[in-house]
Amino acid sequence: MGAVGLTLPWGARISSVEGEGDSRVASSEVQEQEVPGGSGNPEDAAIATLCLGGDLGGYERLYRWQGTRMKNLARHLLGTQSDAEDAVQETFLKIQRSVGTFRGQSSFVTWAFRILVNTCHDLRRSRVRRKENATGDSEELPPSQEPRAAVAHPTLRLALERALVRLTRHQRDVFLLYEVEGFRHSEIANMLEITETASKNTLFQAKKNLRGMLEPPSRVREAGR
Amino acid sequence: MNITCQERDRVFLDGTPEEWAALELHAEGCQECGGELQAWRNLSIAAKEMREEPESPQLWSRIEASLNERAGQKKPNSIWRRLRNWTPLSVGWQTALAAAMVLALAISGGYLYMHRGSSARSEDGSAALLKSPALREVENSERAYEQAIEDLETEAKPQLQSGDSPLVASYREKLMVLDGAIDELRMQAGENPSNAHLRRQLLAMYQEKQQTLQDVLEIKR
Repeated sequence: MGAVGLTLPWGARISSVEGEGDSRVASSEVQEQEVPGGSGNPEDAAIATLCLGGDLGGYERLYRWQGTRMKNLARHLLGTQSDAEDAVQETFLKIQRSVGTFRGQSSFVTWAFRILVNTCHDLRRSRVRRKENATGDSEELPPSQEPRAAVAHPTLRLALERALVRLTRHQRDVFLLYEVEGFRHSEIANMLEITETASKNTLFQAKKNLRGMLEPPSRVREAGR
Repeated sequence: MNITCQERDRVFLDGTPEEWAALELHAEGCQECGGELQAWRNLSIAAKEMREEPESPQLWSRIEASLNERAGQKKPNSIWRRLRNWTPLSVGWQTALAAAMVLALAISGGYLYMHRGSSARSEDGSAALLKSPALREVENSERAYEQAIEDLETEAKPQLQSGDSPLVASYREKLMVLDGAIDELRMQAGENPSNAHLRRQLLAMYQEKQQTLQDVLEIKR
């Protein structure tokens, strides 16, 4: 697997946001961080009750609590802010339409994100089909890159974003949900209708592939000798 | 606890806290594992950089408006009632349709009576659950329907958007109802993928939507 042109400073010890350091890095793989949307959370239960009772205040609470994370995930899955906003809006309508089918087998937030992920994939598929019809080209289009907010390691993030579009859809979903949005494997399993083991395996494969794609060119050359 | 280079990937995949600590210790004296461990960490750090707080001050207002709009609509008891309420056809056609349904019921009743012996086989309920190969087949058919419907939707879109006759408005309403029902059923089928009853209902909805879109295109011709 070749490098994508931008390489990560693998040798360097990168410090991220202070205090967050390794919460999901070394120990992350064993000690999954506490996610506010976890099952058993009183806010989650309160929102579920309100929404099930037809109270629109429940949806607003859900938006205030998880809206940023929803928009962020949708943007990474779809590529643009405007598509992401459409997906989030559509997700809320689907939640309202289907709330009667919520059985509490997962947290309400997990259930909502499951709808969001499916909505994003539906939107993406229809966008690809429209493009195919227009151009006759059947290749799936990677999400387009929009200008992003300034961060501590722009090169690092840009390289990762470029590499992510080359992963399989499943690997990209799991990587984004786990590493970026901070969901647990049990929650991801529920959202994507896979087992926890499959979620762990997919994350491992995703990171292995990303590692290969972001390999510094010198190492790739050395490997080729 | 000691960790070797060969065990590194297994720890990355699903290591315990003790194994991670042991790997860290091992990596201090092993250049290769040290590099790999650092690369693994850097991926997680870069991923965190992808977390943002996108500004979209109008989004909640938009969502709220559409939620309110939907909540404000009269909530019928079921999709079937909503479809029953959709009556763009003349009384004569409705009578013919009713007669056709009675005939279909009579035929299916007769069929069930004739095959009542064989139905005993499914008393354990297993026949109502789709097995894996059958499930795949059903899912493939559903995908084919989705594709065909999307093509039809693209073709019928100009007609549906520009047409202002009562018939086109009525078709628009019916398609909205069907979309709502398909979403609900897809959600339920997602939770119970092997439930044959749900799958049949979903397929019926797809067929209905396909037929409706074809009807819309017929008007155009």
